[in-house]
Amino acid sequence: MEALKLESVMKQYGEKTAVNGINLTVGKGEIYGLLGANGAGKTTTMRMVLGLIYPDGGNILYNGKPYNSELQQIMGYLPEERGLYPKVKVSDQIVYLARLRGMSASDADKSLRYWLDRFEVPDYYNKKIEELSKGNQQKMGFIAAVVHKPQILILDEAFSGLDPVNVELLKDTVKELRDQGTSILFSTHRMEHVEELCRNITILDRSNTVVQGDIRTIKSGYPREQVLLRTDNEVTGLESIAGVTAVQRQERGYLLSISEIGAAQRILQQAMAQGEVEHFEIKEPTLNQIFIRAVGESHE
Amino acid sequence: MNKMGTIIGFTFKNKVRTKSFMITTLILVLLLSIGMNLPYIIDQFKGDSTTNAETQIAVIAEDGNQAAELLKAYTSPEGMPQAKVVQYTSADDAELKKALDEGTVEGYVTFAEPTGEGLPPVTYHSENGELKGDVQIYLQNALQQVNTQFVVGDKLTQEQIAAMSTPVQIATQQLNPDGTAGDKDASQESAPAINYVIVYAMLMLFFMSIMMTGNMIAAEITSEKSSRIMEILITSASPLAQMFGKVIGVFLVGLLQIGVIIAAVVVNLKLPHNATILKDLDLDLGQLNINLLLYGIVLYVLGYFLYALMYAAVGSIVSRTEDLGQAVMPIMMLGFVAFYVPLFSISNADTLLVKVASYVPFTSPLTMLLRIGVGEVAIWQVIVSLAILLVTTFIFGWLAAKIYRTGVLMYGKRPSIKEIRKAMKAYKI
Repeated sequence: MEALKLESVMKQYGEKTAVNGINLTVGKGEIYGLLGANGAGKTTTMRMVLGLIYPDGGNILYNGKPYNSELQQIMGYLPEERGLYPKVKVSDQIVYLARLRGMSASDADKSLRYWLDRFEVPDYYNKKIEELSKGNQQKMGFIAAVVHKPQILILDEAFSGLDPVNVELLKDTVKELRDQGTSILFSTHRMEHVEELCRNITILDRSNTVVQGDIRTIKSGYPREQVLLRTDNEVTGLESIAGVTAVQRQERGYLLSISEIGAAQRILQQAMAQGEVEHFEIKEPTLNQIFIRAVGESHE
Repeated sequence: MNKMGTIIGFTFKNKVRTKSFMITTLILVLLLSIGMNLPYIIDQFKGDSTTNAETQIAVIAEDGNQAAELLKAYTSPEGMPQAKVVQYTSADDAELKKALDEGTVEGYVTFAEPTGEGLPPVTYHSENGELKGDVQIYLQNALQQVNTQFVVGDKLTQEQIAAMSTPVQIATQQLNPDGTAGDKDASQESAPAINYVIVYAMLMLFFMSIMMTGNMIAAEITSEKSSRIMEILITSASPLAQMFGKVIGVFLVGLLQIGVIIAAVVVNLKLPHNATILKDLDLDLGQLNINLLLYGIVLYVLGYFLYALMYAAVGSIVSRTEDLGQAVMPIMMLGFVAFYVPLFSISNADTLLVKVASYVPFTSPLTMLLRIGVGEVAIWQVIVSLAILLVTTFIFGWLAAKIYRTGVLMYGKRPSIKEIRKAMKAYKI
């Protein structure tokens, strides 16, 4: 049974539709990516999943059942703005939040210490949130979201504002939680994170679902339009090959845009006729390109 | 319920540990201590100047002048010893001039020619033609008695003269509401002095406590809202548990503060030098009316919850701390009305305004306290007022929880009443 299932969920604010009939399923131990431009409806969707606001239509099912207050104990949430008391000690507030979610004080304390050690910052235990840097505040927010070992975890822009080292640290943690069976709903602007973490994604654009499904299937559905070519010598006449729409010179080689897949072979032959080919690749579209295309197209 | 306990504990701990709470409480205690010891401190300073240099007034008269003799007799250590009257035969006396220059003698009194019966007209001479307040009172009293003696002469005995000059006493007794004379029940008899003081003190204390803790609740909720921790809280515990957890937590903070203040008052009253001052003011702590205190506590608790819930509701509508001051203004106004109506009526507690206000839920906590303490009120009236207050508090509790649930997720511009009403329908608490 799916940990989380949204069936044509809708939300309206006055005249404006914030989320227009979204469907998605997050399995146990899966990270689900929710993508979209600013104001596309990601946060609204997450808030509905959390039970913060009620959908105007459709159903949300958790382990097959509708929302009930017991879910408060098994859900974790990291809001986009960090959501911690600035003037309260880390230990006080995280233990407090864990206790509100049904943990005993001693379990909460143990779990907090585990996470602080895990992030190699055990000395933050007695610090106030306002004394920490923005990135470290975010780590504390993350701990607050996972301290009670939730089964369903909702991360809104979890990696924004972190340096690369901490992004890796958090990514590893998220993967580990996934492997332990946590179902994670994850929103971001950063496509490379999605490609690394998520199996399935939904791209929202102005409250509508524009792309949805398995990342590999999505990619294969888009035409391959780029060819990467590396040779030891210069290749001439690439522009004049039929089907080539653009040629970009790179440090070592060329990036060519093509309008049909047959052009790729003609490029290879042309290159081989002129010298040795070191590298030839028909690139699959990146999520970034798919995103821009999906969101960009609908804007036209 | 368990979660509510956690919230109460967290709120209490964090509020008590804030610097602002500690400093405010400390300042209150300091001010109170200074205020209560002020009479003693002033006494200390005054004591020095009066005992060292006793006020001297001169009287100019021939030896054997009857008025001067009588005046001297009345101001002798056996009569009215606060000042000393010395006699000189002439205003041109060198010694008198020297004493006036040095300030050891305040001024001198002369008598004109007798015009009929009684004391001849008196003139007071001093350096700048002033007659100081305390000297005047003193001279007036002394001369009044001299006058009596002068007129009466030998016709009456000393005892009869003393009886004549004793001030007339007016005793007071409270009537029961049915118009009969009050029974000699202890609480009825002791109603005056101490009750006024207690009612006055409780009015101040309760008003201050309710306003301060109310603002504390509103500020807490608004800051939770603006730091978005609210989103986590709402998904962790029911809004009702959260709101009441905060209200009760801050209530305990308020109680603690009141406890500290009362302790400071008691300690100050127990100081030996203050015991005599209390006695001078005719205040006996033993006369303290326990009923009044008990009613006071019940009224305080209900009043606190009513106002705290209103503050909580307002705090949850506002999304930025800067806007909070403006938003709580209506509640503050209501609070001021509730405070000033009984305060200005303390000397006349049975006006129609007070009677009406003691049933209106927002003003009733403090006004009813006034009526119980220093007015006349039947027990059924107290019960009706308490019942109205209780029902209103429950209604506001429900309403505030709804507003809270709705308001905490509304951001941006302050929502209109229509928007709040629409959103409130959507949420169950």
